[in-house]
Amino acid sequence: MAVKFGQALKMAFRSILGNKGRSFLTMLGIIIGIASVMTIVSTVNGMNQESMKQFEAMGTNKINVSASTYNGTDVFDDLYDYCSSLGSDLVLGVTPNATMWDINVVYGSKSSKSMQKNEENMWNSGGEPDPNTALPPTAYLGSDQYAICNNFSLARGRDISNIDIKNYNQVCVMGARAARNFFNYADPVGQTVQVNGYPFTVVGVYEAKDPDSLWSMDNIIVFPYTARRQLNPNITMSEFVVKASSGEATVEVISRLSGFLAGLTNNGQNGWGYAYSENQWQESQNEYLAMISLVLGGIAAISLLVGGIGIMNIMLVTVTERTREIGIRRAIGAERSAIVTQFLIEAAMLCGMGGIIGIGVGTLGTRLAGKLLMQIDIWPSLGITAAAFALSVALGILFGIYPAAKASRLQPVEALRAQ
Amino acid sequence: MLVRLNHVYKIYGEGLESEVRALDDVSLTIDRGEFVAIVGQSGSGKSTMMNVLGCLDIPTRGDYFLDGTDVRDLTDKELSHIRNRQIGFIFQQYNLIPSLTVLENVELPLIYQGINGQRRRDMAMEALDRVGLAGRVKHRPVEMSGGQQQRVAIARAIAANPPIVMADEPTGALDSHTGQEVLDFLRRLNREGTTVILITHDNSIAASARRIVRLADGKIVEDREQEVDWL
Repeated sequence: MAVKFGQALKMAFRSILGNKGRSFLTMLGIIIGIASVMTIVSTVNGMNQESMKQFEAMGTNKINVSASTYNGTDVFDDLYDYCSSLGSDLVLGVTPNATMWDINVVYGSKSSKSMQKNEENMWNSGGEPDPNTALPPTAYLGSDQYAICNNFSLARGRDISNIDIKNYNQVCVMGARAARNFFNYADPVGQTVQVNGYPFTVVGVYEAKDPDSLWSMDNIIVFPYTARRQLNPNITMSEFVVKASSGEATVEVISRLSGFLAGLTNNGQNGWGYAYSENQWQESQNEYLAMISLVLGGIAAISLLVGGIGIMNIMLVTVTERTREIGIRRAIGAERSAIVTQFLIEAAMLCGMGGIIGIGVGTLGTRLAGKLLMQIDIWPSLGITAAAFALSVALGILFGIYPAAKASRLQPVEALRAQ
Repeated sequence: MLVRLNHVYKIYGEGLESEVRALDDVSLTIDRGEFVAIVGQSGSGKSTMMNVLGCLDIPTRGDYFLDGTDVRDLTDKELSHIRNRQIGFIFQQYNLIPSLTVLENVELPLIYQGINGQRRRDMAMEALDRVGLAGRVKHRPVEMSGGQQQRVAIARAIAANPPIVMADEPTGALDSHTGQEVLDFLRRLNREGTTVILITHDNSIAASARRIVRLADGKIVEDREQEVDWL
């Protein structure tokens, strides 16, 4: 092509500016289309991210895994290895989540049994329960990643370690409420409690997550899962928690784990297993949002289509109006390709300009929708903005093809005769 | 020889009852440096002649050699190149593009040659200088008189220094004084070596050409050379 691209751009720009009013009206369809597509996609995107954030803040990204084999072999080692192989991009930790019943923890005069009595008394007395009542703690078997998986952080001492698990160390970590129930405000770290008659050393205390609740999730004692050898040799560990790195990773890990479990349990012949997130509602909400965005996006796409047809219409009018100009250009040496390029660029530029205005309007629309619908601050992402611009230019080219081809097919002699 | 038409026909609606023979077995040669007036009444076929000679149209039958090239064999793209580089057109209605400035109009053939930047500007300015309009380059065509517009069109025609200039009734829309100026300019071009083909219905204008080719009903009825006083 003899004509430089920059030159062609300049010519197109001149032609658009030469007819400002009509150019703007033509752009209007694209402006409305791009603005609505952008508002819808960005708003849905923003809502998704917002609910993901809530999802993560709620201590989620937590995947529950249930799995066991019929011959009673332990799947945890395999699960642990598999989760390690997924890497820390996806999985932050994995732990058994087995509750042990009939565990009696004794420290001095306090014991699970006595606390059991407190609970019975509390029910029998009726009325408003005293929030300071010491209730029996729940005992869990966990791995060294129990804290990560259940969103605990250490207040004192250390966590259960891998060595504790390997060496069958008789240690435990207490939740804040359990620690208070047994030790009042003294430091439990280093103290020994009797658990079903075996001495266990308290090595750490978790930070309180829910300090005011009577049935608090802080009223727990966590043992290395190998401690079941002493405490409850018959227990099967069939419940596990896997902690994913993010909301998106949760979905990914669930799907991978499902495959892994199917292989591990040999498709139900040797056992069973499945993975699920507690927040399945999250997914259904996302699906719902995706459907809304599909429907609204479809409507917006139709408006873009109408806008594009408007562009084609006006470009056809332009070609007719400028038949003589086309004839002149052809007479003094413009090749067909130069005419095609000229009108294509003009259509693309018209749409591109409309796209830029549409992006501006769409940004306002997105922010407004975020404020009105969810009281959140949404900005359209860079990707969506770039895609909206690219889409508008592509529309211009698409709907410019026919008028441009028509212009280039005009015979110079006949075109020159036009008025 | 620069131009050779060999038994050229241009027939519209061939085979129909309403068939029109705009050119009917025309043979003509024009040498480099000639000043030829193609004269004829309206409907004589002179406009068709101009379109064929200007590579704007292809003859129905017959050969047209331009500078040794058989035009009938050329693609649309190659014809565009010839119009761009070999021929400068001057039209009765000036045919300037109204949305472009004077300078941009003159630059147009150079743009299609792919000449850019300062060189293009210089060439266009030189052409405008030759027609005496170097001072009005930022104006739009509508802001100028007919004579000035025709001078812009002449500048556009000569900007790329084509060997042939074709003028189709160049004085038709002008008063006799400005028309004379345009003719004077064409003569000057011819003296400087450009081949000029002038198409007109006006015998008095044709009188200034060194050679007159008269068309009637698509046939050449007269082809004579004459003495002129301006050489």
